[in-house]
Amino acid sequence: MRLTPDQFWTYWEWLFERGGLLGGFLLALILAVLGFIAGFLIATIKYGPAEGFLQVAKILGEFFTVDLPKMSIRRIFAIAKLSFKEAIRNRILIVVAVFVVAIMFAGWFLDPKASNPAQLYIPTVLTFTNWLMLLMGLFLSTFSIPRDIANRVMYTIVTKPVRPTEIFLGRVLGFVAVATMNLVIFGVMSYFFIVRGLSHTHDLESLQNDGLAGETTSVRFHSHSFTLNEDGVGTTNMVKGHRHIVRKVGDKVVVSEQVDDLTARNPVYGTLRFTGRDGEENTGYNVGYMSEYQKYIEGDTLSSAIWKFENVDPKLFPDVLNFDMTLSAFRTYKGDIETPVGGVVIFRSLDGEVESDRIPFRVKEFQIDQHSIPLKLKGFRKGEPADLDFFTDIAQNGSFEVVVRCRDRGQYLGMAAADLYLRASEGTFVWNFIKGYISIWLQMFIVVCFGVMFSTFLSGPVAVIATISVIVLGMFGWFIDNLTTGKISGGGPVEALVRLPLQSGSETQLDLGNEMIEGAIKGVDRGLLFSVSTLKSALPNLYDLETSDFIAYGVNLFDGLLARHLTIAFGYFLMTSVIAYFFLKTREMAG
Amino acid sequence: MSSAAPAAPETNPTTSSAPTNPDIIVETRSLGKIYRDFWGRKKVQALKSLDIEVRRGEIFGLLGPNGSGKSTTIKLMLGLLFPTSGRAFVFGKEATDVAKNERIGYLPEESYLYKFLNAEETLDFYGRLFDMPASVRKERTEALINMVGLQRARRRQLREYSKGMTRRIGLAQALINEPEFLVLDEPTTGLDPIGTREMKDLIVKLREQGKTILLCSHQLADVQDVCDRVAILHQGELKELGRVDSLLKVQDVTQIHAKGLDENTKSQIRDLIAKSQGELLKMDNPTTTMEELFLDIVRDSENRPGRRSSNAS
Ligand SMILES: Nc1ncnc2c1ncn2[C@@H]1O[C@H](COP(=O)(O)OP(=O)(O)OP(=O)(O)O)[C@@H](O)[C@H]1O
Ligand SMILES: [Mg+2]
Repeated sequence: MRLTPDQFWTYWEWLFERGGLLGGFLLALILAVLGFIAGFLIATIKYGPAEGFLQVAKILGEFFTVDLPKMSIRRIFAIAKLSFKEAIRNRILIVVAVFVVAIMFAGWFLDPKASNPAQLYIPTVLTFTNWLMLLMGLFLSTFSIPRDIANRVMYTIVTKPVRPTEIFLGRVLGFVAVATMNLVIFGVMSYFFIVRGLSHTHDLESLQNDGLAGETTSVRFHSHSFTLNEDGVGTTNMVKGHRHIVRKVGDKVVVSEQVDDLTARNPVYGTLRFTGRDGEENTGYNVGYMSEYQKYIEGDTLSSAIWKFENVDPKLFPDVLNFDMTLSAFRTYKGDIETPVGGVVIFRSLDGEVESDRIPFRVKEFQIDQHSIPLKLKGFRKGEPADLDFFTDIAQNGSFEVVVRCRDRGQYLGMAAADLYLRASEGTFVWNFIKGYISIWLQMFIVVCFGVMFSTFLSGPVAVIATISVIVLGMFGWFIDNLTTGKISGGGPVEALVRLPLQSGSETQLDLGNEMIEGAIKGVDRGLLFSVSTLKSALPNLYDLETSDFIAYGVNLFDGLLARHLTIAFGYFLMTSVIAYFFLKTREMAG
Repeated sequence: MSSAAPAAPETNPTTSSAPTNPDIIVETRSLGKIYRDFWGRKKVQALKSLDIEVRRGEIFGLLGPNGSGKSTTIKLMLGLLFPTSGRAFVFGKEATDVAKNERIGYLPEESYLYKFLNAEETLDFYGRLFDMPASVRKERTEALINMVGLQRARRRQLREYSKGMTRRIGLAQALINEPEFLVLDEPTTGLDPIGTREMKDLIVKLREQGKTILLCSHQLADVQDVCDRVAILHQGELKELGRVDSLLKVQDVTQIHAKGLDENTKSQIRDLIAKSQGELLKMDNPTTTMEELFLDIVRDSENRPGRRSSNAS
């Protein structure tokens, strides 16, 4: 699981500082201007400019004066209920059967030897549910209005006092209700599938040390070892992402069901800085390929990555200090390809006087590398070996540093701020799981909005294709980004158009001998490119709303992120409502 | 042969104001419709410059052969189509205005309803679209189902309905809001003779309740029985418009039935007729049938486009 820096923004930070609100507002503005121009052109072709302008103004006016204020909840519900009935009577619930069959197959095919079954089961189930819901949203939403128009049932609808807004809202509401019902069923079934699929316990294989340590039997391709304290309580070691609580009851040692595989931990993040080969401050090394997102430290030098944590609440870590790493390795020579690149972690106080022993690790790429250290630990005080207490000695006032170095000469370790975090045990898995389903719901909601919108002016199959295209294009937003950040030589569209007849190469500076014109061309281009990049956000990037990793890796989905996704979905809902309104309003239902 | 039909004015007289007379339920002003294909190319001129008025409390019939533009006219009045030229007003408002629908009931050519709903659900659904509270919906549903005689099929999905039953539920749907103005597109098609009789009785009864009715049909007998005024369309043009009784009166024939005339008077009349080379049959103003009139108009208009030289008002 790889977190990107933007996922850490709080909701308000995103809304106000990172352009969430501004972007939405600009998009609305650009769409409004484009819509007005398009409407005016079409009306002009039909009625001539003066009459055309009047028509556009009239429709706009009616939107605000009657069609919005005179909406009726009862009518919206009537259409919603109708859509719901229609879907049910078209046997939408067959999809539930599909889901049951699919989940049975999953039960057979998911590899029980996987190194972390939870991290296999959860994403599989969530991803499958996600796709199924998107498909359901797509096919539910795109056919009804075109069918009503083709069957002419629309004649008896629009000759009642029904407003275009109500048709759109009613349809969306109805389809979302049907899909939600399905999603709830899927969610409950998935939950039990996951819980039952992971649930197991072990018997005792052997006991040592007067019954205070031992081995469990092998169940589901793994076994654990454990030690108990004087009170006869303890846990096993972590295998395949889980542990078991072990208790001595009378003479018997009892191993309970597994714990820790279904969690929702709240990660605590720090800020990251780097030092170079000789210990000097730098910004980390680039290794020249892959993402710019991570920076690298060099092996067997003083080059290190230093995370600073501040004001960490000791209450979040009552027994142990858990921390996770998601580092990546870059090899400048192959070396021993079997052994992963190794490194060390050191916890130290801010003044650097107290530090822990070096904790060695080997990089587990593309996985979460989970560690924990005891709160009573060995280390050094002013260079002298000492027994330390984490929160009194190292983390005074909850603030401390974590230093990561790479041990292998000539190899590099890559990291970004989010690649090392403390893992507080908080939050319940069920609630996190529900949040994951809310993410799926939001994606389905967006698809339904677009599907219904397209179906107001396209036939069913074409609306399906259009909706799919929007989703696919939305996922390739980064491509348009590259196009519009101006990195491409030869300037924007207008400049390119001017260059064409001049046969001026795209590498040379534009020279028309008139700075005003050149400036104007560049200005227009900048405006155009900016508009295009804003317009791009009219296409939803469903991939960004995907959160199954959070659930799978037991990280509590940040509320700020979920709130952001909710807001984005609502934005698309508003956008599609308005577009659908104008199409329904200006469409001849009997044409 | 008179000259070609006047071309429909292509300008949209938006500047002319909406009618204010509350007794004019529908008014069309040089209403025209051209169906175009996707590319905007002309396919059919379905309606040419139609001027009619439907007055409060009357039963107005739109007549014409298949494809003459009757349904097109109705759709324009309901805002289901937008006019290519001219305007249509209903209750003094633009035909595309949604609010007018509160007072209108519409029975389409075929009953276009949701096939997966049953009769009760259908009426309940349309009742909701009028924002009617549950108790009112229930009451109206009950009354209408009884009125159209679907008590025994009320819980069956419409997909199982026969043609006549579909027609009946379509009518019930059109009456759900107790409309002031009822638009019926071929109300009697698909109905058996009893159903047809009931439909006609109902239409007359609704007029007695003060409702205004616009219907179109080519069941000429129906129209003759119930309509107060008719407009006859052919190929999108208005051919005749007037009261049914005066339209059916043949003005240039006199039919004399007399009683108590003495032989002298009779011979005088005969002489008079003989003098003007006539031949007495019966002395009377005979009435023709709707069918005669209709066939006559159609025949006539095949040869001579444009409004017929009228013999009625
Ligand atoms: N949606 C449409 N697209 C193209 N042409 C159409 C459309 N609807 C009707 N027309 C044409 O317009 C003309 C008038 O049709 P309309 O349905 O108004 O006739 P009508 O008088 O109701 O006939 P009928 O008695 O058969 O119902 C016909 O030539 C018809 O082919
Ligand atoms: Mg018709």
